[in-house]
Amino acid sequence: MKKALFIVSIFILLIAPFLGEIALNLNEIFDSSSITYKVFWDLRISRVLLAFFVGGILALSGLIFQIIFKNALITPYTLGIASGTTMFTAISIVFFPTMLLSFSSALGSLFTITILYFISRRINKDSIAVSTNSILLIGIALSYFYSSVLLLVFYMSNLEQNYSIVRFTLGSLDTVGFTSSITVFVTAMIMYFTIYKNRAKIKLLLISNDTAFLKGLNVHKLNLLLLVVISLVVGISISFVGPIGFVGLVVPHIIKLIYKQSADKLIFPVFFYGGIFLVVSDLIARNLNTASSIPIGVVTAFIGAPFFVYLLIKRNKRA
Amino acid sequence: MLEINNYKSDILNNITFQLNDNDNLIILGENGAGKSTLAKVLSNLIENQDVKLFGEKLDSIVDNKRASLINYIPPKLEIFDEYLTLREFMELASITSVDNDKITKLIKLLKLKKLENRYCKAFSSGEKQLLLLASSIMHDAKITIFDELTANLDISRLKEVYDILQSPMLQQKIVITHNLDLAYALKYKVLYLKDGEIEFYGEHDEFFSNENLKRFYNNTISKIDEHLVVNL
Repeated sequence: MKKALFIVSIFILLIAPFLGEIALNLNEIFDSSSITYKVFWDLRISRVLLAFFVGGILALSGLIFQIIFKNALITPYTLGIASGTTMFTAISIVFFPTMLLSFSSALGSLFTITILYFISRRINKDSIAVSTNSILLIGIALSYFYSSVLLLVFYMSNLEQNYSIVRFTLGSLDTVGFTSSITVFVTAMIMYFTIYKNRAKIKLLLISNDTAFLKGLNVHKLNLLLLVVISLVVGISISFVGPIGFVGLVVPHIIKLIYKQSADKLIFPVFFYGGIFLVVSDLIARNLNTASSIPIGVVTAFIGAPFFVYLLIKRNKRA
Repeated sequence: MLEINNYKSDILNNITFQLNDNDNLIILGENGAGKSTLAKVLSNLIENQDVKLFGEKLDSIVDNKRASLINYIPPKLEIFDEYLTLREFMELASITSVDNDKITKLIKLLKLKKLENRYCKAFSSGEKQLLLLASSIMHDAKITIFDELTANLDISRLKEVYDILQSPMLQQKIVITHNLDLAYALKYKVLYLKDGEIEFYGEHDEFFSNENLKRFYNNTISKIDEHLVVNL
């Protein structure tokens, strides 16, 4: 099962750049003067790479957030980090047009996680444990707040800015050249190795924060490190592709069902299949409708939202 | 030596006592008296400035060293990950390098062999408590606090736990329990909590005198021929 899945996934990765609106003339792929060459390398390959690394980041961030907050429904998206990033990006599109989008996105992401972190510390004042349902509710409250600010910014913007904001919130993997895919690749590696290096400590968090503390782990310090690194990386990747939801929810859950191993051993599979998930979603988005591609966020939400409800039902059944 | 000086919170009031190196302790008290809270204070799960371990303020001891001094075993095994196995849990329990032989021996001793590669989250409450006991031996802190360790155990298993508590496998022990038979048999020092205050702190024989039993348990329990008897 695992092996077959892996082989199929590699196959998908390899053929993904060949599929799309414009049919490629295979003879011209290495002919740098042809249109096919430009489409294949500058558009398709860079797009598949971007999708793969963003997917990996989103899936792995979901896995780690779920461990930190001890709740299988938590991802950067459900905690309001994506909407925080979107709001900051919209503000910078309208009021600070010269600001680098990655910068405002990272700022929005970091701002949100800081609020969440301090509120959660306050709720659990003198305890190491976290109250997971309240953090989820705070995330929802924050999302509402951000949405209303976003609407206000929207209201104050002109038509052109309006359009940029809408395009951004829909999410898109459109990319030309390798600047974004390389940036996202580098941030993905920083995040991956931060997590990988701390996997023994993260394994203690798999029991409970109290137990990790009793074993001598500085739980707050580790959580803070992971939250800051992940939020920054997620913020930067959102600045390139917009808020893409539900990857961090769907992928870790399915990988756990397939592998049936503790989460510290799933760092690579979750990252890898998160990448595959987004590449496949993007293939669907690009190829369903020939007139133009559907926004990627719409595709992942169509898959993810019902899945979220399924997880909720399953969780309540058990409790 | 464990010391706590005048600790106060919403639940506990005026908690002061000292436990000498080699003394074990039983903590008794009604539901809601603050036993678990006291245990969490003693292990710094509830941060505080009033506990001293072996002469050092608990709050200022570095994390690794604190872990080697004190451990708290909760009444229920709380575990987030669905796919951690018993073997993995035992590896995580150890705070120094993992001693695989010791794990194997403990699994055998507690008759948990058939569960070795199964997922802890799916265990019965009794199995979880045995796992917690095994993990406390793996951790091997100077002081281990057990919170209601025996609540879900069969009588035959209770005897095994009693034997382990009486053996030198663990160092200093603090046992919170509702099981008076166990408390009586262990012959540890006794601390009795009522409404967040210490009502009694002293030697085993003194607590289990008929006079004190009458005082703390309102005639529901008495001692006949060196055995406790419940009068229902």
